[in-house]
Amino acid sequence: MTDRPHIFRWDLDKTYLATEFDSIGDLIRTALQRPADKANVPGSAELLQALRADSGGRAQVFFISGSPRQMRGVLAEKLALDGIHFDGFILKDNLGNLLRGRFRAIKEQIGYKLPALLDARGRARPEARETLFGDDAERDAFVYSLYADLLAERVPPDVLEQVLDLAGVYPDQRAAIYSALDRLEPCDPVQRIIIHLDRKSPPIRFDAYGPRVVPVYNYFQAALVLYEDGRLRAETIGRIGTALHAAYGYALDMLVRSFQDVLRRGGISYDAARRLGEQAVKRGVDAQVVALFAREADDRSITPAREREQGVPDYPSLLRREQQRHRIEKARRRKRRRWL
Amino acid sequence: MPTIALDAMGGDNGVAPAVQAAARLSLDREAGILLVGDQRQIESTLRRSRYDASFLSIHHASQAVTMHDTPRVALDEKPDASILVGARLVAEGAADALVSAGNTGASILACARHFKKLPGVPRTALAAVYPTERRRGRSDDPFALMLDVGATLEADAETLIAFAYMGAAYAARISNNPRPRVALLSNGGEAHKGRPAIVEAHRRLAEADNIEFIGNVEGVDLPRGRADVVVTDGFTGNVVLKMLEGISETVVDVARYAYRSKLAWRLGLLMLRGGITQLKQLTDWQQYGGAPILGFDHLFIKAHGRSNARAIGNAIKVAHKAAKSDLCTEIAERLAAARGPA
Repeated sequence: MTDRPHIFRWDLDKTYLATEFDSIGDLIRTALQRPADKANVPGSAELLQALRADSGGRAQVFFISGSPRQMRGVLAEKLALDGIHFDGFILKDNLGNLLRGRFRAIKEQIGYKLPALLDARGRARPEARETLFGDDAERDAFVYSLYADLLAERVPPDVLEQVLDLAGVYPDQRAAIYSALDRLEPCDPVQRIIIHLDRKSPPIRFDAYGPRVVPVYNYFQAALVLYEDGRLRAETIGRIGTALHAAYGYALDMLVRSFQDVLRRGGISYDAARRLGEQAVKRGVDAQVVALFAREADDRSITPAREREQGVPDYPSLLRREQQRHRIEKARRRKRRRWL
Repeated sequence: MPTIALDAMGGDNGVAPAVQAAARLSLDREAGILLVGDQRQIESTLRRSRYDASFLSIHHASQAVTMHDTPRVALDEKPDASILVGARLVAEGAADALVSAGNTGASILACARHFKKLPGVPRTALAAVYPTERRRGRSDDPFALMLDVGATLEADAETLIAFAYMGAAYAARISNNPRPRVALLSNGGEAHKGRPAIVEAHRRLAEADNIEFIGNVEGVDLPRGRADVVVTDGFTGNVVLKMLEGISETVVDVARYAYRSKLAWRLGLLMLRGGITQLKQLTDWQQYGGAPILGFDHLFIKAHGRSNARAIGNAIKVAHKAAKSDLCTEIAERLAAARGPA
């Protein structure tokens, strides 16, 4: 654990909350749900609480969501019910967009999230590092990576312009992006981007973003990645596993398989995994349970992924590919969609 | 929740069908799947697939037995072959059943090296289902079971009797048929017809009160479905099974020929399209889910070498059902009952 302040930025729907909005019926149900009826993605609340607790008071938590501003009361109440204290909460002005006839802005994420993230960074302490949480239902990996590379001045202006054109970002949103960038000093604070695979997208889809982006199938995997990053203590990993088991029906073998998967994909290094095992035994975790995890790497002769270099993705090509995939998936979903 | 070990290296079509099947089934969140084989090759397909990491893991095995390998030699020379490693993992309790689309001989031999035969089983049997006219069991199953179809070429009376009990146990647990009708395949319905082993097995099964033995059936009775479980030796069973598959393929070929030949026939076939589709589905080996090897203390399902992801997926589903319903215990209990009190 370091003494530097750390910011955790979370998307809400499908990252923190298990929201369904694949049909109009889902959207209506979500809008009418009471705070207590809103379900979490298994382990999201426990992980967030742990991140705060393990930071020794140096963590800040911000939510940035595409949900309409009218949902603020319900969402804030839900977070309060979960015992989550947040430092900021940004919601989308969907009503404003609708009244101004900006229909593209209702669904589009880049023109909304990028200026919001940059603006929020402007208010952060310069030395603060960041971990960002999103999901595979929208373009979180893209927006978060672009944000990280823009802050570090790794994206040339013409490339940014190309991306904004492709995304159809409105002039006032562009102005907000450029103005925020002008105000910010170059920095490289984004340590990790964790993408919750709500739609179980193939992991290869995220390779182009480099090792900074780690797709996870559940928050036990996220906890392991955050242990590697020094954001969580060894005993916390056990607590999150126990919470997933007790509250969400994750059997031990499911956690063990999840561990192997994230190790194979390089989300946690072999050394960190071994260190975690040693610390877990020291802190009284059943040695047989630790051995089960160790077996996943050693007895099964699993070779962890080779370390990859973090380069700068070709953002315009990536966005074109994302847009094409989105069109294909949308057509598929339309075929399957049932009214209510 | 049962875990199914899947030999990812077996099969004519490489690693992809097995990995795709495992990935797809992991999304159902009903069984754990342990892919056994070359980690790099498995991952190359897995990373391109939608899957759920909580239900899927890999056990690296650096070697593989090919379809052209001689089973015994290959297993001796390749101790880290995926099929051997898979069988060992099941024997050690890391998984509850094994599925492979690989070399049949090597698969059975690998099982024989790591699994134990159940008490009262002289030889193991490869069983296969085939479609019949008659429906059976609580799930109105059109499939009857035949064993052996290739594991034990010659079977004595003792072996045939064990096959009868093993087949009955399989039909009871997997086809939800609590009292399956069991018959011996012979060249006549009368008790004295057939080889001496069949006559002897007939006499002893007819005296048994813990099995629904209906006597002998002939080849003509097979598609009619007179028996739910047909017992024979591996040589005969294999010839019969291949013939049934051949007939089904010929019927489809004849229909294709007729479709091309005359407009009137084409129109007739178009009108019969629904029925023909149903018939094709019924005789489609890819949906049978593979052939179980019965008689070991652990279950092995042999999928067709040409299996695609769907066929392997169905084989995993059968393995899952068998593991969940504790098929091996059911077989052991029926065999113990057949032997009577010690």
